[in-house]
Amino acid sequence: MNVLELAGISKAYGGKTVLDQVGFHVRQGEILGLLGPNGAGKTTLLKAVSGLTKCDRGTIKAFGLDFQDNKRQILKNTGIVPQENNLEREATVKEALLLYAKLFGVRRAKQEVGKLLERFALTEWQDVLVRHLSGGLARKTLIVRALLPDPPLLLLDEPSVGLDPDVRRGIWRLILELKEAGKTIVLTTHYMEEADFLCDRIALLKSGKLIFLDTPGRLKQKSGGATLEDAFIHLTGTGVL
Amino acid sequence: MGWYMVYYREMFLMRKKIGNLGYVFSTLLYPLLYLFAFSWGFGPTAGIPGGYVPFLSKGMLGIAVMLNSFQQTAISVSVGRFYFRSFQTLLVSPLTPFDITLGATLAGVSRGVMAGGLIYLVAFGAFAAPPPSLPGIAGIIISAACFGAFGFTVGLWADNQDALSMIINFIITPMTFFCGSFFPIERLPSWLQGVAGWLPLSLSNKLLRADDWTGEAASCLLILSGTAALLFYISVRKVNSYSE
Repeated sequence: MNVLELAGISKAYGGKTVLDQVGFHVRQGEILGLLGPNGAGKTTLLKAVSGLTKCDRGTIKAFGLDFQDNKRQILKNTGIVPQENNLEREATVKEALLLYAKLFGVRRAKQEVGKLLERFALTEWQDVLVRHLSGGLARKTLIVRALLPDPPLLLLDEPSVGLDPDVRRGIWRLILELKEAGKTIVLTTHYMEEADFLCDRIALLKSGKLIFLDTPGRLKQKSGGATLEDAFIHLTGTGVL
Repeated sequence: MGWYMVYYREMFLMRKKIGNLGYVFSTLLYPLLYLFAFSWGFGPTAGIPGGYVPFLSKGMLGIAVMLNSFQQTAISVSVGRFYFRSFQTLLVSPLTPFDITLGATLAGVSRGVMAGGLIYLVAFGAFAAPPPSLPGIAGIIISAACFGAFGFTVGLWADNQDALSMIINFIITPMTFFCGSFFPIERLPSWLQGVAGWLPLSLSNKLLRADDWTGEAASCLLILSGTAALLFYISVRKVNSYSE
């Protein structure tokens, strides 16, 4: 069953095309990685799926429902982790999570927040102001926040960007746990190792066009590269500055 | 009740910022400074029927409501949108554009009414300023709604600090000085009276100074209500068509 279906998505800013007829589907329980060089359109595509960017053309369906007509229902079932830390800076970790839970109408919000804080080992940080969190803890809190309404679909925009290797590995384990719990995940990343380790399939974008959609193994095979990074450079042609 | 969650969030964040003197006093300080400086400086010689202090204190009340409803809402939305991106949390939630707009606008109303109340208490304590009449109270609430909705619209429109400053410099500041807060509009050149008299702060000032529900007070309330409704409608449309 497809959780997410995109068809013919196009978007231009000031005459410059950033997404050009992009289409693919994401199956239930899989992790799909959106890869591409800077400016390929990954974040724009994720914003389109989360309703922050309106497409010029194309259709988005989630859970079999058309996004235009069922935006609120779809968003209620979609957890979004943005690239930047957009938690409320004046709030503590617990307060920020409670505010979010209320916006999403989570029942027994306090208990749910408490459970997730404990599950993801954040209880000792619950009274710390968000602006005092390290990058890794902020990312973790953002993921926990997205999980509060228990959404079946997660959109993660560069979930481990700027984190040191140890924390990054921790985030990977967390993402795999979520997959095992049955979540469908779409993530963008610049880390080829991350994509290779986490993703069931990869959608490779270049200049707004989808140029490859298959498993990481097939991507390496197609390009003749030993690693995903070799394949990425070969296919996107970004070997020079 | 989705709107209440937005309102609750805005008020929660405001409460968290109350210890920040720069935040709290930025929009309270000017009306207070004007109140004391002009009451002491011009009070005895202003030649306002009924006395200058009652006149000025109601003008400062109007300014405080305008500044706090407009500016705090506009800053909350614009800064939350383009610096901290926390406003996007509302946009990717299941809330409707109506809920988001209503919650944020009502938070603006609360900010304005609280600031206005504080200014009045100071004016009462320092100068025994008379309390606002019923039309005055209605004026406070409806002008807070009008400027709260305006602040929300501007917050959604402004893409950077310069755009926000432009609105403050070219719309809010001229209204502060030409809408009858410091002196009667009748003292302006006749061509300017015609323009200034229709601006929301002038209508709010007329309501604040009305002793009873006269025809003029009712007209002012009606026009302010219509303006608030129009700005609210524009805000809902802007949220609905939001695209990065």
